[in-house]
Amino acid sequence: MTSSSQLLIPLHVRYIQSLGENKDDLTYHLTAHLRMNAVYWGLTALCIMDHKDALSKDETIEYVMSCWVDEAGAFGPHPDHDPHLLPTLSAIQILVIHDALDRIDVPRVTKFILSLQQPSGVFAGDQFGEIDTRFLYSAVNALSLLDQLHQLDVEKTVSYIKQCKNFDGGFGAVIGAESHAAQVWVCTAALAILDRLDVIDQDTLAWWLAERQLPNGGLNGRPQKLEDVCYSFWVLSSLSVLRKVSWIDADKLTSFILSAQDTENGGIADRPGDLPDVFHTIFGVAGLSLLGYPGLVDIDPVYCMPANLIESKGLRKGWEALPRKAS
Amino acid sequence: MHGVKRVQYSQAALEAKKQRDHDKLKAYLALSDDVIARKSHDMSNEAFELTTRLLRMNPEFYTVWNYRRDMFIESLFPQRSPSEVNELLSDDLSLTFELLKQHPKVYGIWNHRRWCLEHIPDGPSPDDVNGYRNSTWNKELFVVEKMLDADARNFHAWNYRRYILATMPFPPPPKSELAYTTRKIEANFSNFSAWHQRSKVLTTLWETGELDRVKSIEEEFELVRNAMYTDPDDQSVWIYHAWLIGNGNYAARLQFEITSIQELLDEQPDSKWCMESLVRYKRLLIEKHAENLGDKKALVDSCLELLAKLRDIDPPRRRRYDEIAEGIRSGNEMQ
Repeated sequence: MTSSSQLLIPLHVRYIQSLGENKDDLTYHLTAHLRMNAVYWGLTALCIMDHKDALSKDETIEYVMSCWVDEAGAFGPHPDHDPHLLPTLSAIQILVIHDALDRIDVPRVTKFILSLQQPSGVFAGDQFGEIDTRFLYSAVNALSLLDQLHQLDVEKTVSYIKQCKNFDGGFGAVIGAESHAAQVWVCTAALAILDRLDVIDQDTLAWWLAERQLPNGGLNGRPQKLEDVCYSFWVLSSLSVLRKVSWIDADKLTSFILSAQDTENGGIADRPGDLPDVFHTIFGVAGLSLLGYPGLVDIDPVYCMPANLIESKGLRKGWEALPRKAS
Repeated sequence: MHGVKRVQYSQAALEAKKQRDHDKLKAYLALSDDVIARKSHDMSNEAFELTTRLLRMNPEFYTVWNYRRDMFIESLFPQRSPSEVNELLSDDLSLTFELLKQHPKVYGIWNHRRWCLEHIPDGPSPDDVNGYRNSTWNKELFVVEKMLDADARNFHAWNYRRYILATMPFPPPPKSELAYTTRKIEANFSNFSAWHQRSKVLTTLWETGELDRVKSIEEEFELVRNAMYTDPDDQSVWIYHAWLIGNGNYAARLQFEITSIQELLDEQPDSKWCMESLVRYKRLLIEKHAENLGDKKALVDSCLELLAKLRDIDPPRRRRYDEIAEGIRSGNEMQ
């Protein structure tokens, strides 16, 4: 095993390219319900590593469109799977990255998204009614990418997030739920898109987020939990929106992420020694990008998409990442 | 995937594993293809049993949970009496409980459980339309307690607990939930989830007037002091304590807590949380009660000294400590 003090970009690019190839992998088939998300994670990771063309644009778009469920006006995660807000967002993000938004029936998708808002302001994921601030964020993000944010009842949406605020400054999945870094990110990012960061107790929340860093340099998602590479994104991007990325130790976090690489087969795992997957690969790479790791492309922490793309659509908000190191 | 270790296999072991996985995969794909092919039109008992088999193999396959619910609504419920419907739902509550023991964090299983609860029919009789509901919902608190005994930090279980308490026909009173959080906290002071729940329950009790806020907070400070002294390194307690202090409008309470924490710091001179809290509360004194302060400069100097120490013992967060120090210095100069 070689030393992992560097991000092994060519290896991770090959890892992402290989993801769809091993049709004998049981895990691959057991996660079909996440496939659209996985395609978005892999594509975004490639963009940040400046290898956007490593996967075929046409095949990707074809896959996305094969998941369109016409009667719903939305996307599922895989052909013949039921439509849902999460794969719908990922589909939109993929098409935006490939400049193929014209493939979408925008009014119908907008209708689907808006139909999922509940009287309380939160969004359900589908007609079966599970509610979660993750879905609220997905709706706000998707509507903004579709340039349909003006159709959203912003007051109602913001008021739900306000009610999710906890004693520690953080946010949970629903009203009353414990603060969790991933839920903090979705609420913070949604508020950023809606220009309502005033809702946040910024000092308290930035403090809670800074305390996620553990002695080994990794970040956890809640007090007393284990470090995990994916929190390199959830925590870091939240801090980035609050302009407090400097409140954690960048060098220690960088070392932690790099140590979670699979130096033989590529990909990044949740922590050193574990099996890699595309989820932890994107969030490890995204975290490194926010930390200014040399050779990476800027990522927008609000959208988790390439920053220049978001900026070109006029959607960039006031976040701050660490400056890109020269080498 | 979380927490799956990389393992080095011998060549022979690898071959054997590949064969096992291949057989498993074949079986899974055959079943999955069969179920998916049926879902648009087949509402039979046979199809229902197939979804049971498939969900046992992959409870995250939400499309199949959706199909199962469609079958309940479109064909299985319409043919049956309330008693039979109730029994079908009981069976699914048992199935989901069994699956949750192996997969305690799968959203789809928790969602299906809620759906079952929400579809319990009126019955068992016209005089007792809520009998089935009451009996089933009452059992849910036991179910979620079991889940929280297994993992006291499982947020799915805590969210489910709050949902049950908010929705069940005859919920126990909030004070009883307060007692539950006390039990959980006393079992383990690091249980942030229990402290969080406590913050919610107390807020409700204060708002309804069931508990007097001032007296209640005094009691909370006692509980927290005990926890602090038992485990000064646990952040849950300190974050909760900061919440109790709030905006720091009560100077006497601030002074009292500062003295108490200083005593603890004297015993544990490297305690980051003691130092962090002393800075926080001394800053509140400076900001809110300046006119009553004898020696403001001593307070300011003390904060700066603590922040310098914090830089040393908690280097990852040194930039935050620097910013706080800068703020204190410039605030001081402005006066």
